[in-house]
Amino acid sequence: MELTPPQLDLIEASNDQKIFLEGPAGAGKTTAGVERMLYLMAQGARADTILVFLPQRNLAQPYYQALRNPGLVAGGTVDVLTLGGLAQKMVQLFWPLVSEQAGFAHPDQAPTFLNLETAQYFMARVVEPMIEGGAFDTVTIDRNRLYSQVVDNLNKAAVVGFPHTELEQRLRGAWIGEISQAHLYADAQQAALRFREFCLEQNLLDFSLRVEVFLKHIWSVPVCRDYLSKTYNHLIYDNVEEDTPVSHDLMAEWLPQLESATLIYDWDGGYRIFLGADPASGYRLKDHCQEEVTFNHSFVTTPEIQEFTAGLEISFNLAEDRLDSPFVSPSQPIVEDPASKPAVGDVRSVLEFETHRFHPQMLDWVVERASYLVEDEGIPPEEIVILAPYMSDSLRYSLSERFDRSGIATQSHRPSRALKDEPAAQCLLTLAAVAHPEWGITPVSYELAYALVQAVDGLDLVRGQLLAEIVYRSKDGRPTLTSFDRINPDMQERITYQLGERYENLRLWLDSYSLNPVDELDHFLSRLFGEVLSQPGYGFHHSRDAGQVTANLIDSARRFRWILAESLTDGSGKDYVQLVQQGVVAAQYIRRWNEPSEGAVFLAPAYTFLMGNRPVEVQFWLDVGGQGWAERLYQPLTQPYVLSRHWPPGTPWTDSEEFASSQEALYRLSTGLIRRCRYKIYLGLSDLGEGGYEMKGPFLRAIQRVLQNYPADAPGTQVETH
Amino acid sequence: MTLLPLDFQFSQGSLQDYVDCRRRFQLRYLDQLAWPAVEAEPLLEHEQRMRSGAEFHRLIQRYLLGVPEKRLSTMMDSLGPEGSDLKRWWGNFLQFANVTPGGNTLVEGVLSAQFGSFRLLAKYDLISWDMDEPDRRVTIYDWKTSRQRPNRDWLAERLQTKVYPYLLVQAGEQVTGLGKLSPEQIEMVYWFAEHPQEPQRFSYSDEQYQQDHDFLAGLVDEVGSLKEGDFHLTADESRCKFCTYRSLCDRGTAAGSIDQVESDLEVETEQDFDLDFDQIAEIEF
Repeated sequence: MELTPPQLDLIEASNDQKIFLEGPAGAGKTTAGVERMLYLMAQGARADTILVFLPQRNLAQPYYQALRNPGLVAGGTVDVLTLGGLAQKMVQLFWPLVSEQAGFAHPDQAPTFLNLETAQYFMARVVEPMIEGGAFDTVTIDRNRLYSQVVDNLNKAAVVGFPHTELEQRLRGAWIGEISQAHLYADAQQAALRFREFCLEQNLLDFSLRVEVFLKHIWSVPVCRDYLSKTYNHLIYDNVEEDTPVSHDLMAEWLPQLESATLIYDWDGGYRIFLGADPASGYRLKDHCQEEVTFNHSFVTTPEIQEFTAGLEISFNLAEDRLDSPFVSPSQPIVEDPASKPAVGDVRSVLEFETHRFHPQMLDWVVERASYLVEDEGIPPEEIVILAPYMSDSLRYSLSERFDRSGIATQSHRPSRALKDEPAAQCLLTLAAVAHPEWGITPVSYELAYALVQAVDGLDLVRGQLLAEIVYRSKDGRPTLTSFDRINPDMQERITYQLGERYENLRLWLDSYSLNPVDELDHFLSRLFGEVLSQPGYGFHHSRDAGQVTANLIDSARRFRWILAESLTDGSGKDYVQLVQQGVVAAQYIRRWNEPSEGAVFLAPAYTFLMGNRPVEVQFWLDVGGQGWAERLYQPLTQPYVLSRHWPPGTPWTDSEEFASSQEALYRLSTGLIRRCRYKIYLGLSDLGEGGYEMKGPFLRAIQRVLQNYPADAPGTQVETH
Repeated sequence: MTLLPLDFQFSQGSLQDYVDCRRRFQLRYLDQLAWPAVEAEPLLEHEQRMRSGAEFHRLIQRYLLGVPEKRLSTMMDSLGPEGSDLKRWWGNFLQFANVTPGGNTLVEGVLSAQFGSFRLLAKYDLISWDMDEPDRRVTIYDWKTSRQRPNRDWLAERLQTKVYPYLLVQAGEQVTGLGKLSPEQIEMVYWFAEHPQEPQRFSYSDEQYQQDHDFLAGLVDEVGSLKEGDFHLTADESRCKFCTYRSLCDRGTAAGSIDQVESDLEVETEQDFDLDFDQIAEIEF
């Protein structure tokens, strides 16, 4: 790609410059950041003295891609880190120097790092006795959501930078509703305090404690600070607006010691506000840089698409003083690249929509249009994304099944898909229960049938059910399997001898194992996988997905076992299986951000797509009339705006703030999507949503107001059908 | 056309896998296939050794970064019986550390350089050099925690012994600040935590450098030229005992005994922890 003169000026700035680069998405800022990194290396800066700092790991992709270029300068490697990654690295290295002053009960012993699932597990241990004692009695959310909201509160305190002891005061001070809610905040505060106490007692570090130990203790120890300042001389900090206030504080302190810095800031960003992102806090880093550069030529969007953004801004009727709000990142008019864009047309030439009565009709239309684009217009499938505010399992299934029928591959990304919902994991957990009758976990017949279908290659569901009904028994709560040889010959023939033999081998393996079981569930799973299920004749033998799911499950079970052992907490394979089934662990285990696959249409929640920061040719927005686009998730125990650095403690959060923040969030979301679209946006509309509710939400109304500004016979008008 | 992605990076691990078994290379590096069967038995002992090995590397890293020896020794003293290996290794290391040269170090550093159409990359436990020494020697240290001390011939043939010094010549200039390094300046030392007095030292030379270059270039060219069906299974089936893909290749069911392993099996690096959308249960996408 050819670089523009402003890009070149920035990239080739001298090696001692501290530059603040800002502009809209799609203006070539990250490209400039990547090239700046390469330029510094080419100019002789040691690669291992360059730190690329990002708010979220998946934003590192363009940097990693450049660093894998074969022709790169020989030498060390550039570190690409987030605050979480940096904190983890530093705590691991310098734990012996800070463990005592940070208040851990066993400073001479190694720390144990918790991931989200193990943090949630320990939170459950802390909160359950509270619930039994009557705490949280007025809240009606899933227990796991309750645990995770308390974890989230601790994380917010850590990344916003206030004491976790102030959570209740802040939440309560902003609440103007019923008094019962205020009690909930008191319970949430108690849970957070007890959890923190438990962590300090057991040398456990969840995300919040890692960040606090790093910032409050390690950062002030000279040997640690020396290590950081000697290691890194150059900083590239991208997507500053998506990062948290404590990251910004850290950088504000660090910047004077660095030789050079390039800070990159997206206008109208802040998609991670509910994770503690603070665009206004990030913008103050501009004052710490000598050079201020603005890129406001979009390389992505057409004038028509830009007009859509401008129309939405008016349509949302955002307050004139909105830019004074701390929750809003700055914005300025964007200039399109005049050389590459057509000069005529209106919004409707880039918007296509069709209204349907029912949701499935809308999905049919989406797939039909996408297929047309691929087959008749030659748009590569990976340049098409299908976006919804939330991507439920049923929506994902409905879409991928329709695309399958059209012969188009799809790739979906639904971060919080539970491992227990994967067929391979269900099979492994069912067989684990059968192999450990002493656990007293008895799968029901269809679960066993389903497990056998997964386990035995060639066994279909009909024969699987037949087999399970005959061979599976539960006596005194202990599951048992009987031999295939004891089935009557007619039935053996119906199931087939070949499949029967495979089943029999599996049964014998489980029988033999149960004579000498092990305590380590992950070891059992590894053996079951390697010695039976992945062997020829079994269902996992040629299944890449089954291998990956099994690896994830084993990894999760192993980490769980290690952490329990390190914290001297009782727990067995049975406990793990039960926790998975309850959704406490392995609930968000798919950690990898899937890179878009070539040849596959990408299905994702809108925010997930945005944080991938990837422009595409075509976007489909589903359920545009739904409330999901505008509403905040129901979170009775936490509140991202109130817990931000900008909300004065004690100030009530009223309906008008709620309305303004949701309008702002919706505007930010829609402009973020629009600026990542090169060619066309398709709006999926149905009168009734997936759940049968009427679909006339604020997003639809805002778009309608934009379209009302154009005459009915203007070019690009699309036909509405019912 | 090569099956390797354009940005493929070779390492001693991937090259060793290729030399040991082309099929394993394909499954692990090209297909990136997760296949979590047992690697070696007894599994619990194997796991404990892997964990202790990783912890030992971290311990030395802390020591070399300036965490006081006394503080680290206090932590070692607090370990229970499961930490007996680690305690012993640490004691052995401290004796060794007293005789190793001081000066400048790169600890747990990664070097990489262009190699043919691809990139070659290695992670070093320790690179040490002294600017004031007249011959400006640069020493590569690699900590081994295996029970057995491998024989010299076996080590000499390992890809690690070839890749590490070779890559240091290629990429060490930027990191050490010593100017272009010559092979004669470089020595590679394998130090065995269980056999602290018997490190294996490999001096490097121009001749060895040239031989390694030719060997590695030949290997990389060969890998790059292979077609889909060319990734054959190894003829040495004893290797399959320690390969997790054995079931996929119909090469047995059970893993081999850890006692038969010549040296350390590779230790997995821990992933960075990060707070992102994937880890927020509240975002019910």
